[in-house]
Amino acid sequence: MSAVSAGVEPRRKGRVMEWVTTTDHKKIGIMYLFSSFSFFIIGGIFALLIRIELASPGTQILQPHLYNQIFTLHGTLMIFLFIFPVLNGFGNYFVPLQIGALDMAFPRINALSFWLLPAGGLTILSGFVAKGGAAAAGWTSYVPLARQLGTGEDLWILGLLIVGTSSILGAINFIVTILRLRAPGLSMMRLPIFVWSVLATSLLTILAVPVFTAGILMLFADRNLGTYFFDPSRGGNVLLWQNVFWFFGHPEVYMLILGAWGIVSEIIPVFSGKPLFGYRGVVLSFLMITALSFTVWAHHMFATGSVELPFFSATTEMISIPTGVLFFNWLATLHKGKIRLEVPMLFALGFIAMFLIGGIDGVWTASPAVDFALTDTYWVVSHIHYVLFGGTVFGVTAGIYYWFPKMTGRMLSKTLGLWHFWVMLIGFNLAFFPMHLLGLKGMPRRIADYPATAGWTLLNRISTVGAFTIAAALTVFLVNVVTTMRKPRTATDDPWGGNSLEWATSSPPPVHNFDRLPPIRSNRPVYDLRAAAAVAPVAAPAAPARGGDAG
Amino acid sequence: MLATGCAQAGATEQGQQVHQLFVVITLIAAPVFVIVELLLLYYVFKYRKRDGDDEAAPQQEGSTRSLVVFFLIPTIIVATVYGFGEVTLASVQKQDPNPQVEIRVEGFQWEWTFYYLNEGFFTTGKTLVKPAEMVLPVDTPIHFQLVSRDVIHSFFVPAFLFKRDVIPGRTNEFTITPTTLGTYQAQCAEFCGLHHAQMTFSVQVVTYPDYLNWVKAQRKAAQNVTCPVTGSAITVTAKDTAWNTNCLAVPAGSPISLTVVNQDAGIDHNFAIYDSSQRKQRFFQTGRFSGVATNSYQLAALPPGKYYFQCDVHGPSMSGTFIVAKPGAP
Repeated sequence: MSAVSAGVEPRRKGRVMEWVTTTDHKKIGIMYLFSSFSFFIIGGIFALLIRIELASPGTQILQPHLYNQIFTLHGTLMIFLFIFPVLNGFGNYFVPLQIGALDMAFPRINALSFWLLPAGGLTILSGFVAKGGAAAAGWTSYVPLARQLGTGEDLWILGLLIVGTSSILGAINFIVTILRLRAPGLSMMRLPIFVWSVLATSLLTILAVPVFTAGILMLFADRNLGTYFFDPSRGGNVLLWQNVFWFFGHPEVYMLILGAWGIVSEIIPVFSGKPLFGYRGVVLSFLMITALSFTVWAHHMFATGSVELPFFSATTEMISIPTGVLFFNWLATLHKGKIRLEVPMLFALGFIAMFLIGGIDGVWTASPAVDFALTDTYWVVSHIHYVLFGGTVFGVTAGIYYWFPKMTGRMLSKTLGLWHFWVMLIGFNLAFFPMHLLGLKGMPRRIADYPATAGWTLLNRISTVGAFTIAAALTVFLVNVVTTMRKPRTATDDPWGGNSLEWATSSPPPVHNFDRLPPIRSNRPVYDLRAAAAVAPVAAPAAPARGGDAG
Repeated sequence: MLATGCAQAGATEQGQQVHQLFVVITLIAAPVFVIVELLLLYYVFKYRKRDGDDEAAPQQEGSTRSLVVFFLIPTIIVATVYGFGEVTLASVQKQDPNPQVEIRVEGFQWEWTFYYLNEGFFTTGKTLVKPAEMVLPVDTPIHFQLVSRDVIHSFFVPAFLFKRDVIPGRTNEFTITPTTLGTYQAQCAEFCGLHHAQMTFSVQVVTYPDYLNWVKAQRKAAQNVTCPVTGSAITVTAKDTAWNTNCLAVPAGSPISLTVVNQDAGIDHNFAIYDSSQRKQRFFQTGRFSGVATNSYQLAALPPGKYYFQCDVHGPSMSGTFIVAKPGAP
């Protein structure tokens, strides 16, 4: 062995092994995105099955037991294995670049965080071949129902333990990276706003996910080890689960949206030709929301009759104040700008327009008396989709069009991008706006069937048409990605006129990220570089090269 | 969204208040929605970069003053919404200390039983067969107690603009006053497993005289159930969470041999005899056992009279009349 390794060049790894064994944050970031979109497609197919089933009264294609499994895993996959990891994917790729670092603080833990994800996701999905089927108690898995169900429920718990571990490891990694590895000159108040959003998300993650982990361990023990945390006939309390779940679950909602706010707050200034208006206000809002999100959990439990209603209503109303500030800042950034309607900008504007609806329709349910009428109806289904699809998915899509050239060296087609945007915007509203009206008409969520006499059929049909329209838009997107990847790498280092450091290196960046870093004297170092070049056409003096390895 | 505003006005006093609050919040939220969306569109059109325009945009970063204003505006809005919300909440949460009608609602997988506590009878539904029916007198405060036999359910009457969860180990209570005659469809709103979607019931709001007639008829029906004695050996079969009969009769004076057949795979049942549906005194009770299985029991002779039997797991939805007939009676 030693003879071989002495003089012979080590054999180059195969392409697959290169990805499997990589600790490069950029490759890991891309794997996060790839894995997330795979689960998005699976969760999306589940959504289409749900919409087919609800298009008419009576049973179409899913018997109730299968329907219950499908909607449970639709929610579980979308939340835990698509939205959260997709934002982590952008974080992995762009946080080190935006702070001028070589990699994450703990590259091997970073690889571990990623590989736990598909393991957890497949564990949850394996419930479909288990006795009694996959988990079928909803993504909220309320007890005692969750104690009644089969092995799929245990696989759901196990899978989410794995996914939760991945999130906690990833969050610690982000916090250390952001606090310790910033380039010289990059003070906290010069951090790109996306990095702030990742920092806030990571704080929420390490504070909230361990609580959830404790909750599902109690559930596992109740199911398998003869404990009775949640069994009222033996001194337990079924509402303990809801308190534990939502103490995690509401911060979770902000974990799922903060990253999208960060992305949109990067994109709007770039395509308006202005700095982000009220940068300090946006940072302050992020931090206020991070803190307040731990005080609102019981607004999911108004109808249980066990909640201090005025308190939780007040905190819930309060959290919309910093959220409102974000809207003001985005609008003020557009004000007097030079707005370029490139595809990333369209999705970012779509985000503002749609997330606004998801923000406002939450105001009704924040008022307990109205919530008694609306909770657990399709109003709530509509609300969560305006936040997580109209909000996060539009924001994430904006991020993909924005950063695709940086990640691949290739520009996605603008024509297909425009089709993608408009078809998705129309499909999204067709799919989810009618759900507001269904909720007002009293249609409960999570029902596999409804009578023809209920008067819900037409609105459900419209919603189903909308769901397939979204599927068509996503097909356009996939075509765009596949055809673009076959083209040569023509993207420049900075195709949009960006502000943050990722635009100061090549597209795609080298393994070590930067050959040299520009001087950092504001939160827009790359803008400063361009501005300096415009004033003095002679090349600005280059900053000293970074480290010996960059040469 | 605005036009249909919380759909109906609410068929109860409390529901009408909720509807008013819904309208108030709509009047506050709708302008915010319209202004922000219009401003967004206006800015995009007005400040769109034209061809050949290479002038740089003004590089405003925002002052502390603008920040204060941005915080102040939403603070005023939500404080207003909160104020209105609290007033309505206090009003709809009020309970009547002396209700004329008291109903204990039991939710179970997957139907409902309604005990009319002051009138001494109950109505119940049978899963997948017959939804439960509730009859309420108009303009009368009605006090509800909600209890669950198994998992969490939610008592939801859309026309009342109200729901309250039905939680094992906890009794939830509230008072509502129906104001509008009519029949309203209602159903469980908290996901409760396999047949959640079928866990429906109807609520009929009638005039007070009609209500009294209905109560009389229910009482009579409960007393009039009868069946012939077939011998001291009886068999009762549970299938699809229902007994095969609502009446069993045995002769007085001789020990009873009882066979209980449970044909529901994986579902627990038992068999118990009580004085009445109020269950003040229990005369006999088997253990719970899961189907498919058959068990036999010996009972001591019971004094003549009318008794009540049920499966304790499923309650009145699996119940009937147990008659011990005097010797010589048919």
